[in-house]
Amino acid sequence: MNPEPVVVLDNGGSSCKIGMAGASDPFRLFPNAVGRSKGERQSFVGDQIVGYPDASSLSLKRPFDRGYLVSWDVEKSVWWRAFKSMLQQQPQDCGLLMTEAPFNLPSIQTSTMQMVFEEYGFKSFLAMPAQPLSLLEWQAQQPSLPANTAGIGVVVDAGFSFTHAVPMCDGRLLPGAVRRINVGGKALTNYFKELVSYRSINMMEETYLVDNIKEQVCFVSTHLASDLTASRKGTHKLEYVLPDGVNERIGYARKPLAKGEHTEKNAKEQVLTLNNERFMVPEVLFQPTDIGLQQAGLPQAIVEAVEAAPTDLHPLLYSNVLCTGGCATCPGFQDRLYRELRALVPDDFEASASS
Amino acid sequence: MERRSVRSRKVSKRIATVSAAERENVTHARLEALENDDAAGEGVVGDSDEEFLLEESDEEMEFGKRSKKSKGAKRKTRAMLEAERKGPLTFASLLEEAAASEDPMAKEVARMYSAAAAGPPEGAAPRRWCSVCGFAAPYKCVRCGSRFCTRKCYAVHMETRCLKFVG
Repeated sequence: MNPEPVVVLDNGGSSCKIGMAGASDPFRLFPNAVGRSKGERQSFVGDQIVGYPDASSLSLKRPFDRGYLVSWDVEKSVWWRAFKSMLQQQPQDCGLLMTEAPFNLPSIQTSTMQMVFEEYGFKSFLAMPAQPLSLLEWQAQQPSLPANTAGIGVVVDAGFSFTHAVPMCDGRLLPGAVRRINVGGKALTNYFKELVSYRSINMMEETYLVDNIKEQVCFVSTHLASDLTASRKGTHKLEYVLPDGVNERIGYARKPLAKGEHTEKNAKEQVLTLNNERFMVPEVLFQPTDIGLQQAGLPQAIVEAVEAAPTDLHPLLYSNVLCTGGCATCPGFQDRLYRELRALVPDDFEASASS
Repeated sequence: MERRSVRSRKVSKRIATVSAAERENVTHARLEALENDDAAGEGVVGDSDEEFLLEESDEEMEFGKRSKKSKGAKRKTRAMLEAERKGPLTFASLLEEAAASEDPMAKEVARMYSAAAAGPPEGAAPRRWCSVCGFAAPYKCVRCGSRFCTRKCYAVHMETRCLKFVG
């Protein structure tokens, strides 16, 4: 008997990643949301949002709240679209492997299971946290690492809804040692939106656009003090040309123009001036007190997580810190984390990122 | 009954200050807001769908099919009305439910969830950034407690933000 094909679905707070298990073809990535343009009835589901020509004033409705799946109304339509357009097989012939956040509540699990079997009719179903899977991938890439042979490591998952530091042993999560910071990409986007709206042009309605801008221009500062001084002089100044609805879909960033460079075309553009927001926003991950959240920053949360694990594992855990998630792709994230963690831990360790 | 001076309640806006508790409330509200989706569009979504349903049932009435009309009116079950009253489901309410439930498993998960939150920051004092320009801010507004760095930023703050989000 052949085992049934398995659909792998990384059901994230901001985007869904779908693919077939064991298949060499790449997975598909699309927003996990239903979008709606202002003043129009039609709504856009999942990957339709990416192709929609007018990115401004697009408001998204997401099925997730605080990183947990709560709104099945929204999720249902996204899944139907995904399964119909991206899978060659019918759900009835497949199994489903889905990711979920650590400590998913039983009530949410029950409703998920109900949907998977009753609405879509999958043959089999498994939901598990994504972090052990990331570690598996990392093990496959670096099999010679001593911590990897034992399946030990800390996965730092800087996601959309929150950030987790997850220590693992033997490829399994150590549940008592997981630590969470309630800041993720969503809070960063909203914070960025707030700052930009106050200092430059009001963008409060344009979350989707601001999310894109954030991904393009933000970086993590490695030397905060020197970067701040530099940005006073305008070294980090950047102009972001907003989409005009005709030629540009999501706009682009450019260096500020010198006086003589302005052309007639430039006069019509709406430009967002960005300065220290570019690195002060991701800074929140390292110091949540900046936005008034009384929680430890990422390096300290990792230390807390490791300290909660059995003492024998500490050296190996510190030696294998793996960064994953959307916020970790921010340039400079890894360097900064290494630098701060280095100051906090006595052992030698390595920090590395993979998706 | 405690006797209070009338005067104390009529503090001029120029010297009114915001109490520490109120400042905390403001920070909390702000943190909540940071987790929001763009809520503005969402009310509209629900409304227009409803409109659509109503139109449909009107049409059916015109054809004189009474039985169908009553079916249309019944479309909203009690559970749906209940759900509408409660508004969208939030994770906080589910967590509360799990913590209060009889099921030991749900209770345990809720406990673990709360235990997993990273602790309060250690060592370094909170850094202070200017609420206007974002650079290091040595001063704070005596009225609302926001930080600012220069007189220029203070002027902007007084004009635009001071006490705006409180009252």
